[in-house]
Amino acid sequence: MQKTKIPAVVSTFLVCFIFWVLLTWSFTAQELIAGGVVSLAVALFSARFFIHEKAFWFLNPAKLFGGLFYWVCVFPVELVKANVNMAKICFGGCKKINPGIVKVPVDLKSDYGQAALANSITLTPGTITMEVTEEEGQTYYYIHWIDVTAPSGKEAGDAIKGTLEKGLRRVWE
Amino acid sequence: MSAVRIIADILIGIGGIFALAGTIGILKMPDTFSRMQASTCIPTLGTVCALLGALLFAIFNKGDAGAAVKIAVICLLILVTNPLGSHALAKGAYKAGIRPEKKMEVDDLGRDLYGD
Repeated sequence: MQKTKIPAVVSTFLVCFIFWVLLTWSFTAQELIAGGVVSLAVALFSARFFIHEKAFWFLNPAKLFGGLFYWVCVFPVELVKANVNMAKICFGGCKKINPGIVKVPVDLKSDYGQAALANSITLTPGTITMEVTEEEGQTYYYIHWIDVTAPSGKEAGDAIKGTLEKGLRRVWE
Repeated sequence: MSAVRIIADILIGIGGIFALAGTIGILKMPDTFSRMQASTCIPTLGTVCALLGALLFAIFNKGDAGAAVKIAVICLLILVTNPLGSHALAKGAYKAGIRPEKKMEVDDLGRDLYGD
């Protein structure tokens, strides 16, 4: 268990407080103070579980814009493409499927980057990340794929997450 | 009827179409994991399109900033939490020994970790 650090507490507090303000959407002093106290308590107890690396990495403009670009331009396009594909399969009677679980190498090193990639893959219809393993320093995902068109390894990896990984590498490398 | 209202209605309709596709998939897919795949259509484009329509409606027809922000937060929370649930369900089902009736062509997880 790692120790609680001040920057981690500050960033967790900010996130909690912003969510509080967004959800209540009232700016009277009473509400803001109550939210501040609760956010601070939550941040003190949970910061060490949330923040494992640098707490303010997102203040680096290159990474900030990389992240914005990824979540506004790259990811929605992939999401819509996969959704249209899946809708076609479903309206066509669910006949043209070839499910399987493939093992795919992942080049992202950071924990956050790997978590973001796994979540992006799971959020796209047609692929679900099922397990993560590490062998000889190389991380592998086991991915359930609704329509297996490439054998396991690099080829399947490019087909499933090529664009996503390229976008995420700008944020977490 | 304003132009914004029409766009909002179209977005909600698109959301409905994708939710319908996901539902058909859940009912007709042959095995657990494929059903789970089809169901991902519902929270992603289904819900997000409907919420975008509601967001436009809240901003331009009602002028209600509080409601608009709440809709945006709902959208964000669904997108963040849905993959966690899908992943946990799929992994748990596989661990519990559920396999498709028709054997999967490639099954690296079973080969490497569970010795199928």
